[in-house]
Amino acid sequence: MEKREQSYEATDYGWLVALSFVFLTLVAIALWREVFPSWRPIQKTFRTTLQKYAGVEKADAFQSGIKQIWIPKINVVDRCVTCHLGYDWGSVLPATLGEPLMPHPNLPYMGQHPFQQFGCTPCHGGEGWATTAEAAHGDKGWNDPMLSASVATRYGLTRGELMQMRCNYCHRHDVSTPGMEQINAAKQLFKKKKCIVCHTVEGRGGATAPEITYFGDKDPELVDFSHVTGVRTLFNWNYEHLIEPDKISPHTVMPTFNFTPDEARDLTLLLLSWRREIFPPEYIPAPLEATPVPAPSPTAAPSPSAK
Amino acid sequence: MRDRLAKLWRSIAWTWSPESERESSEAIVRNLWLHWFPAKITRAAMSWNYSMWLGTASASLFLILTVTGVMLMFFYVPSTERAYGSIKDLEFAVSFGRILRNQHRWAAEGMVAVVFLHMARVFFTGAYRGPRAANWIVGVVLLLLTLLLSFTGYLLPWDQLAFWAVTVGTNIAREAPVVGGTISFLLLGGNQIDQQTLLRFYVLHVFFLPVLLWILFAYHMWRVRKDGGLAAVEPIRAERSMRPKEMPATKSYSMFGLTPGTSVQVMSSTDLEEQDLVTSSPNLTRRMMLVFLAVLNATLLAAILFNAPLEEAANAAVTPNPAKAPWYFVWLQELVASTTVRLGPLTISGGFLGGILLPGFLLIVLALWPWLDRSPKNAEGRWFAKTRRNQNGVFAAAIVAIVILIIVGVYLRGPYWKIYLPGTPRPEMPKVF
Repeated sequence: MEKREQSYEATDYGWLVALSFVFLTLVAIALWREVFPSWRPIQKTFRTTLQKYAGVEKADAFQSGIKQIWIPKINVVDRCVTCHLGYDWGSVLPATLGEPLMPHPNLPYMGQHPFQQFGCTPCHGGEGWATTAEAAHGDKGWNDPMLSASVATRYGLTRGELMQMRCNYCHRHDVSTPGMEQINAAKQLFKKKKCIVCHTVEGRGGATAPEITYFGDKDPELVDFSHVTGVRTLFNWNYEHLIEPDKISPHTVMPTFNFTPDEARDLTLLLLSWRREIFPPEYIPAPLEATPVPAPSPTAAPSPSAK
Repeated sequence: MRDRLAKLWRSIAWTWSPESERESSEAIVRNLWLHWFPAKITRAAMSWNYSMWLGTASASLFLILTVTGVMLMFFYVPSTERAYGSIKDLEFAVSFGRILRNQHRWAAEGMVAVVFLHMARVFFTGAYRGPRAANWIVGVVLLLLTLLLSFTGYLLPWDQLAFWAVTVGTNIAREAPVVGGTISFLLLGGNQIDQQTLLRFYVLHVFFLPVLLWILFAYHMWRVRKDGGLAAVEPIRAERSMRPKEMPATKSYSMFGLTPGTSVQVMSSTDLEEQDLVTSSPNLTRRMMLVFLAVLNATLLAAILFNAPLEEAANAAVTPNPAKAPWYFVWLQELVASTTVRLGPLTISGGFLGGILLPGFLLIVLALWPWLDRSPKNAEGRWFAKTRRNQNGVFAAAIVAIVILIIVGVYLRGPYWKIYLPGTPRPEMPKVF
């Protein structure tokens, strides 16, 4: 009897010791991952870069850790700056540095769009919460992917041209905005071709064609792609539809306007920019031109703010 | 000095090994946490092959879930505006947040599976008879609570997966006759999934269901003991009662041992003999620790290797294609989708037939099975007893059918609710860019 009890002891103790070691190993792996995240080496490089261009003092003042621009007003948590550390070091770091440490280019409108008020994702898209490159750039499992150069070239655009779409979330009611040539052209075209005769936008317009006030919110799955020749995206559906409406949706009453590819792209950008984004009044720009201001619509009147 | 060090080490390491059986028993009885164990346990109940320790594994998973769940509560905000963001924070900014959430997620899905396997073990060993029938019903309720806990937790990340899985689940509940609408309204706190739903699911998930589960679990364990331990002892008891007990050579045995109708060689009906038993301390306690550690390692390994799913933020305007229930309910969804019958203008809703009637019938039969089982007593406490072959076969067939439906639902079901065999291309879902 004593012997049989001993046998429990020997094997069970053996397993207990073995599994304890497995447990310790797993805890060590978890700890390792926590202490050495993928952004750690980038921050290390940033410190040495800073030392090189700005001196030891600045480099020593830099503290390692997750960095974020948090703007509760517009629900933005942008941890992009955990890796893109040089963003506001334009005065010190050279523009030739390359990603991810490159300073943000000092574009003419940057003065009116300070980082602390606008963050990164409102203009660039992508997943601000994330702290890994793969998740942050948001090609997978994220419906608002970063507007990268590779996405732009897919449609024959530059990144800057594609990003104008996001500018227009706020600048929707501008007649024309400096730096938004594509959108400006599309707005003029929209007026010139009298789209509003058939389409309703913000409560004004005809009822012959679908309402397109929030066209950018359209679920791409609810669009018929059976006649689209290119990639199956909402952008491309729109583009091909503008060029040849009756090819993409047979029996449509929409006439063919003979838009050039550039015009069709510009209009697509404009249409996709019309989304139900809600910004606090201070984010909505005051009308740039005193004359002729579009009549304020009953639904979404831009409030001319104090700014 | 050396003595002092040794003393210090003993007070820290707290090593103590009982030197007599009496000390062993006292270790169990006098301990708040251990006194619900018997002082001695049968070797049959200790066997790996008999119980596979699935009940202990379930309890271990529930303990892990409680601890990780309480830790997650410090970070999670049950509001439609902030729930998704708080999960993203856990994933990316909270120290050990991702591993914590992963472990909670995989332990939860593991618990559904292990509790189900535990029930299958009890069925196949016929361990629900006689006084144990009450505990079988408690077990069925525990299984339901486990499913409900997992389901309520599914909504909390407030992503597309959560939102639409719960939409599917609550729409099935709505198909129940008479009370369906009310149940769905109560559960959702309205007619559609919104802030009220999230709050209700949260309160159910972090308070009511786990407290109920802990209380019922304690009762379940208490009943195991009061019903005479695992049913594995029954064949041994039967064997012991068949043969005359060796009488200890004491003077008084003839006075107390006499029973009417037998000679001095009394038949012992209940007593297990010394050789059948081992002391619970340290044999049972150590093995429980071993099972807990194995389960803890398994969840931790899964948490390191696989990330818990998190899709885009919930959007009531965009339905994923296809929208699926959680895997443990996906077999119901498959039944719902395939039992809708159309006869001309008449439509019999699959939601009622496959979603309510069939699972309801299965559940009632499952709960009442101890009273429907007519197999002989000696089929108790043995795996796949010959006299229970038919019912074991039916039960196994039901499990296989459910598993097949789950595999079809999880792996083969694709866009537009079509079956895609492995290797066949699936249509690419359009995106914005």
